[in-house]
Amino acid sequence: MNEKAGVVIIGGGINGVGIAYNLAKKGYTDVVVLEKDYLGSGASGRNGGGIRQQWSTRENIELAIESTKMFEKLHEELDTEFEFIQGGYLVLAFTDEEITQFKKNVKLQNELGLNSVYISPEEAKEIVPKLNILKVKGATFNGTDGIIYPFPVVYGYARAARKMGVDIREHTTVTDIVTDGKEITAVKTDKGIIETDTVVNAAGGWSTEIAKMAGVELPNRPYRHEIMVTEPFAHFLDPMIISFHHGIYFNQAAHGNIVGGIGNPKEYPGINQRASLWFLRTMAKTLVEFIPNFSAVNMIRQWAGLYDTTPDAQPILGEVPEVDRFFQVNGFSGHGFMVSPVVDKVTAELILGETPSMNIDRLKVTRFEGMDLEKEYSVVG
Amino acid sequence: MPAKRISEHPVLEFQRGEKFFFDFEGKKIPAYPGDTIAAALYAQGLQKFTESKLLKRPRGFFCAIGKCSSCIMRVNGVPHVRSCITLAEEGMKVERQSAMPDFPDVALPCTPVNEHKIEIAVIGGGPAGLSAAIVAANNGADVHLFDENANLGGQLVKQTHQFFGRYEEHAGTRGVDIGKALAEEAHEAGVKIHSDSTVLGYYPEMTVTVDSSNSLEIYRCKGIVYATGATENFLAFENNDLPGIYGAGGVQTLMNEYGVTPGDKVLMIGAGNVGLIVSYQLIQAGVEVVEVLEALPKVGGYQVHASKLRRAGVPISTRHSIIKAIGTEKVEGAVVQGLDDDWKPIDGTERTVECDIICIAVGLQPDNHFLRLAGCETKHVPELGGIVPLRNEYLETTVSNLFIAGDSAGIEEATVAILEGKLAGAAITEKIKGPSSELTTIKEKAILGINDMREGPYGKRSKKGVNLCTFEGGCIG
Repeated sequence: MNEKAGVVIIGGGINGVGIAYNLAKKGYTDVVVLEKDYLGSGASGRNGGGIRQQWSTRENIELAIESTKMFEKLHEELDTEFEFIQGGYLVLAFTDEEITQFKKNVKLQNELGLNSVYISPEEAKEIVPKLNILKVKGATFNGTDGIIYPFPVVYGYARAARKMGVDIREHTTVTDIVTDGKEITAVKTDKGIIETDTVVNAAGGWSTEIAKMAGVELPNRPYRHEIMVTEPFAHFLDPMIISFHHGIYFNQAAHGNIVGGIGNPKEYPGINQRASLWFLRTMAKTLVEFIPNFSAVNMIRQWAGLYDTTPDAQPILGEVPEVDRFFQVNGFSGHGFMVSPVVDKVTAELILGETPSMNIDRLKVTRFEGMDLEKEYSVVG
Repeated sequence: MPAKRISEHPVLEFQRGEKFFFDFEGKKIPAYPGDTIAAALYAQGLQKFTESKLLKRPRGFFCAIGKCSSCIMRVNGVPHVRSCITLAEEGMKVERQSAMPDFPDVALPCTPVNEHKIEIAVIGGGPAGLSAAIVAANNGADVHLFDENANLGGQLVKQTHQFFGRYEEHAGTRGVDIGKALAEEAHEAGVKIHSDSTVLGYYPEMTVTVDSSNSLEIYRCKGIVYATGATENFLAFENNDLPGIYGAGGVQTLMNEYGVTPGDKVLMIGAGNVGLIVSYQLIQAGVEVVEVLEALPKVGGYQVHASKLRRAGVPISTRHSIIKAIGTEKVEGAVVQGLDDDWKPIDGTERTVECDIICIAVGLQPDNHFLRLAGCETKHVPELGGIVPLRNEYLETTVSNLFIAGDSAGIEEATVAILEGKLAGAAITEKIKGPSSELTTIKEKAILGINDMREGPYGKRSKKGVNLCTFEGGCIG
């Protein structure tokens, strides 16, 4: 006899366990979370932990502001230490176009209630005295941005959800989603069949593959992004430093190590999570350009994860037209972790048929049908 | 006197060159050519090399071969330098750092990144790696050998005892001399040797990065033999992080390679071959071994080694283990206790042992992170010391043209490491340069030799383990 579940969530990353937690908090625990590897084995356990509110589109800014407020309290709610440090984000401009865009961003961010500021290179150097500002043309700074240690958030959610009765299964691979007309009837896994009418696709870099199982085409594509960590040092760097021009971001984590990544513009789509020599060389060279003393620092590990990237670099949320009760929580394009608190709350509300506390209709997949997209420009790494 | 330089030794001769000095926190420290920073400091009585991150507990060195990072220091302004494998230099400025040192106050000149195309990279210059390199180079391959230490020979450089095993693999010769002979043979065979060169990573396909005197060298290879040996296991007991508690191999390195004694009175934990041999070598170096403890009901190593110790008056206590180390800044003694049949401490059998050094000799585990990075499939095989790569009978892993040999393939002993090196060296050369009757002969002889070694009473366990991780037929891909 097949198992039954009210909701099957595919993906044991931050959003999978976060949605499970939010459903359980509302008293709904007939939920199974399926993870093909271990919890946080995808992008949720491979990212740099950045929590940024300085975005260029209204949706991303609103999601990030609300999520940051929630992160500030979440550790108490989950009784887990996340090492959330609000040292700010220093976003550096290297071209005149960036200056124009940054000023526009700050204006919109201020309108939406964020206290970000546009500053001069010299003011940036006051925030990070070791910074080489020779080529820096300007910067924006927001003090309530910060960094978080991602693993304890994933495990904190999972522990709390399990305690309330949610069934979270690791090393269980989804092999098919069975539909009857527009209705979902079951999810097949390598360990058996679970009958359900509601599925959440929170599979990150694998979400397009998962959607296909239900006959749904998503525009997301997985792209490898690489990251590294250095030896630890006594605290010397407050903010996360990022440059869209270089595609670089780096910060000093709570344990003193520098964590950072740089994007390869020539990366092609596909599931590839192996480390590259290109990254090693480019990251080392660029770090030294930003802070010359990095030349005397050892990188101790490098690894890679997947950005689940959409054409407008904004997430895909909510239901799809082809299949009923097939909720999408994917396409985060490299910034899923930082907006997860709101996304998970709203998704839980939608699943239970409640009025969502934030309107996310503009982030539905249907936005890609022929209309002009508003692209998020502030993607890094 | 906690530590001293050995002046007289029954086997080894320490020909120290001209004394020079470096600066340690404002003090002038004498050193001799070939001394690592850690060895020179230890000879002057320094035991605390760094401190722990949270509780700021003192840390001494542990492994002495660059694998544990317990001895990292700030050298010429650069933090996190492994002082145990970095040679001391005249005028060098050495400081202790906390676990969270200040960000470097210097910027180093950026060195160019050099790329090389080579045929075979051998990683590790111990018995396995050297043997593989010699066979490959003698059969026409372009071979580069990398080792992070200044001296070749791996763990052979500190083995003062005569080897058993097979005549063709140097039985009857002292390990240190085998190491020297193999290194010389490698030179003669035309192996391009890169000592003081740490292999940092593996990148697809067959690309290896090497830190060579602070420049990044990139080697694009046709094949790799991986032979980096093992790391020492540690043991959980109260206060086990005190300076003065070292790996038996670490003490052996300090004593036999750098000619510095670890202290006055040693308590040895473990009566396998490493524990027994190092105990005897401590006595040769003029150090008192107060007792050898063994948790098993009987001595695990060869009886001949145990008998030598007993003749020297060293008690070997089976069914005994250490419960805690005494001391706050360094070891001032130990509490030991008897164990029952279920390995549980027996109440009332606690006693204090007077010692200033505790040596841990409780086994080794294969060092093969690199192989996992390269995507080799692995398996946990307790008989071989832990996680080991799957391999075919010619020691090729599941990644085509990536071969293994020696302890990194599974813990055995040096004779098997030499034979495995020969086998892997011949098999990789055959794949890259094409077959020859000579290579076939080397392969066949090596397989016979390995099987022969595993037939002995001590080889049965290894044989069982190897069978668990050997796949049939050729390599995948």
